[in-house]
Amino acid sequence: MSDSGEGAEILISTPAAGSLRWQQWDEVYLVYQASSAETHVFNDTTALILRCLEHGPQSLTAVRSWTETALGVEQGQLATDHFAFAVGRLEELGLVDSLEQALATQ
Amino acid sequence: MIVGDLSRRELGSRLAGTGLGLRFGPFNLTIRSDLTSFASLARSLYAPYPLPEAGEMTDFHVGIRRPRGMRRWLRRQASFTIDGQSPFAPYTVEHAFPALEWGINWCVATRAHHLLMLHSAGVERNGRAILFPASPGDGKSTLCTALIHSGWRLMSDEFGLVRPEDGMLLPLPRLIPLKNESIDVIRRFRPEAIIGPAFLETRKGTVAHVRPPLESIRRMHEPARPRWFVFPRWIANAPLTLEPMAKSQAFLMVATNAFNYEVLDETAFRLVADLVGSCDCYSLSYSDLDEAVAALDELSRATDV
Repeated sequence: MSDSGEGAEILISTPAAGSLRWQQWDEVYLVYQASSAETHVFNDTTALILRCLEHGPQSLTAVRSWTETALGVEQGQLATDHFAFAVGRLEELGLVDSLEQALATQ
Repeated sequence: MIVGDLSRRELGSRLAGTGLGLRFGPFNLTIRSDLTSFASLARSLYAPYPLPEAGEMTDFHVGIRRPRGMRRWLRRQASFTIDGQSPFAPYTVEHAFPALEWGINWCVATRAHHLLMLHSAGVERNGRAILFPASPGDGKSTLCTALIHSGWRLMSDEFGLVRPEDGMLLPLPRLIPLKNESIDVIRRFRPEAIIGPAFLETRKGTVAHVRPPLESIRRMHEPARPRWFVFPRWIANAPLTLEPMAKSQAFLMVATNAFNYEVLDETAFRLVADLVGSCDCYSLSYSDLDEAVAALDELSRATDV
């Protein structure tokens, strides 16, 4: 997760995220990423961040709030480092990007 | 026609000439060899296996023969060949038979990418199969051998061959290479089991090959529906436990143990997800074969109800 504009940073899902194949058992999500031919294991938080971004670009704050609601926890209760780790992992996999970053590379 | 229908002379002539055609489940092989010791063992252990019909395609042209060049005069060795090439260092000639068997497995593992190949033993009863994905040393061959001598049909000791079109498991009832202590374990468990000679000090220790029961060989073209994944683990003196396993964990163990999961990409993901989704998954720890066979019999009966 980039550190510019903490909270206000806008996240988008990348085209690679659109071609994911999902298999969920309990709270474990097995996800096939066609763009890298890799299979990932996601927890609830990571999967929900991607689900949230299916609705379009969202600020980090909005993504976190949506994820907390979906997880059924109080607002502000999702640990910051846990959320940041999940977003960072999705960025590494090329599944989410910051809108600013995406525009800069176009 | 089966190998056992060939006279000793005819078998030797084919091996030394155009090759001995053999059918192993979905694959046809042609084997060539100039080693008389190999011919004798092939006649004994391959006897019930069918020969391909005239005009059928051969999937693998393999051989086990004396190396070419100076090497053949320095030591008595045997080289495995596929399409005339030798992918491995020569073996001592006494290990020619296991070398060919390993070589055939290598051919399947590296070339049969029209199928999903799980690293798994498999047995069948009443049209439903148990798959035993496992790492080397977990006792899958020993358990599989015990089961096929206790009323189950052998699908394979090494490859869970899954047909992408419909997820059915294809039989590959080849010889089962038992290693080290497992050989005597099976000799005690089923004295009537047909086990070839023990090859000492091979690259995998002492190895002896079990010939599957005739019923398994005769039904080598009859697929089965996977119904259970059982992840076995032999642990000395351990009590038997057969416990349900989370499907997400089973998925990861099946996928990471498959020979060609990465090769088949999305097809493999879909197939493994469908297989795991439709099968009951268990982990099995055992030390006693009778107990393990009884537990798996009970598992299949309980699911019949």
